[in-house]
Amino acid sequence: MRIELENVRHVYAPGTPFEVEALRGVSLAIEPEEVLGIVGGTGSGKSTLVQHLNLLLVPTSGRVLVDGADVRTIRGRELRGRVGLVFQFPEAALFAPTVEEDVAFAPRRLGLSEGEVHRRVGETLGLLGASHLAGRSPFALSGGEKRRVAIAGVLAMAPEVLVLDEPTAGLDPATREDLLGVVRALREEGTSVVMVSHDLDEVAEVADRVCVLENGEVRAVGAPEEVFYAHPTTAPSTVRVVRPLRGPHPEVGRPVRFEETLAALKGLLEGRV
Amino acid sequence: MTAGRTLGQFYPVASLLHGLDPRAKILGTAALAVGLFLVDSAAGFLLISAVVVLLVAASRIPPGTFVGFLRPVAFIVALTALFQVFFSREGELLLEWGFVQVHEGGLVRGLFLASRILLLVSTAALLTATTAPVALADGIEDLLSPLKKARFPAHELAMMITIALRFIPTLHEEAQKITRAQAARGADFSEGGPIRRARALLPVLVPLTIGAFRRADELAEAMESRGYRGDEGRTRYRELRFRTRDALVLCAAALVVFAGILL
Repeated sequence: MRIELENVRHVYAPGTPFEVEALRGVSLAIEPEEVLGIVGGTGSGKSTLVQHLNLLLVPTSGRVLVDGADVRTIRGRELRGRVGLVFQFPEAALFAPTVEEDVAFAPRRLGLSEGEVHRRVGETLGLLGASHLAGRSPFALSGGEKRRVAIAGVLAMAPEVLVLDEPTAGLDPATREDLLGVVRALREEGTSVVMVSHDLDEVAEVADRVCVLENGEVRAVGAPEEVFYAHPTTAPSTVRVVRPLRGPHPEVGRPVRFEETLAALKGLLEGRV
Repeated sequence: MTAGRTLGQFYPVASLLHGLDPRAKILGTAALAVGLFLVDSAAGFLLISAVVVLLVAASRIPPGTFVGFLRPVAFIVALTALFQVFFSREGELLLEWGFVQVHEGGLVRGLFLASRILLLVSTAALLTATTAPVALADGIEDLLSPLKKARFPAHELAMMITIALRFIPTLHEEAQKITRAQAARGADFSEGGPIRRARALLPVLVPLTIGAFRRADELAEAMESRGYRGDEGRTRYRELRFRTRDALVLCAAALVVFAGILL
């Protein structure tokens, strides 16, 4: 599934003193089977952008295309099963008496058989390392556990594209690592993931492509090494360490991920000694 | 990040009405409200309607937005008016269609009732749209402060009102966020009969209620950690000042009400 945004503008509360232009003409494509990282400061339009991907928001002007077809011709319900959107702090929407029930909500709404719902709930909770929580009340869980369950609640629809808005905000490092692992695993299985974050380090670890949003506009989009090495103000710590070394040591290359960077720096040191 | 045009929302522009002392506005609104229950003639309603229209113009709230404030009550107004029209058997018979009869008295009463509710809501909407919630609560506290001698908790009441008003938009926004999150999971709030629709709201109401309790806890802690101990010895950042124009507006409101009743 390929989603394409064409010159999308979005204005909140037009014609009132509260009017805000959140997106000012964004053109961007989400390719099949990729992890796209969307980064940008607060108020850059990240959260507004992702809500256009499953038709929760409709562009004020411009178009959103899914596999070449305008989303306005597709039923919202159908699209929402194919594009799973996990909002910021998704645990705020947990509601069922048990974790199992809560995760089953979305697949049940897709009209699947009880057996299939049960299978998906089990599978998704397993993927997120939350199988042991199935019978518990979602309200009695820790913050990290709630987050896992809430993400499972969307993932259980088996969407073709998973959109995560700040999935790791306020999480402990262990849960954060686990979630990044889930993103990688999904990509292996052929699910596209759009990850919105202002943590550049974590985007650097998982993204195949990076899009930098600023004031509702796309400032840069491309491969992580292209974007991060061209825009030092929006670069993860690995790039900020390596970048100044590139002048005297161009052979260090343009590593972005932690392991790559470590290997490049080791190579540099060993070459010297 | 949504700015709904909800009834009771403050509309922040600079205008003559926005600049008035909240006490003058509260008393003026109260006077108009009492007056509206006593007015019993078409001329009286016309006078008060004209005054309300003038006030809306003076508030510099776009008329379309103001009408939007009234939309939530439109249904109730229409329903009560229709009840009066169809079930009142006073005066001359104007229309008969099967068992439905429309009498002149009913028609007049229905119209009066509709205007009364609409004008009441309009004046209340004007008050809240032109007065910041904090100023409103300060005004209420000040007006009720003589009752403190009789151990009436005026400050606590005002604080509760402030908090309640302050959290209406917050909860509204929270409700929308949760609604969107559940919509992303395939929830549909518009399908099926009333019972199914009410059941569909559960996934929104449960987290909203839990969130409200959590917020209340957090707010109480935040207030205590900033040294809030209630009314005693508490000073104000914004002092209320009752000026000549406030007195004039109040006199004008009283005049309008008297005129409306006499007409």
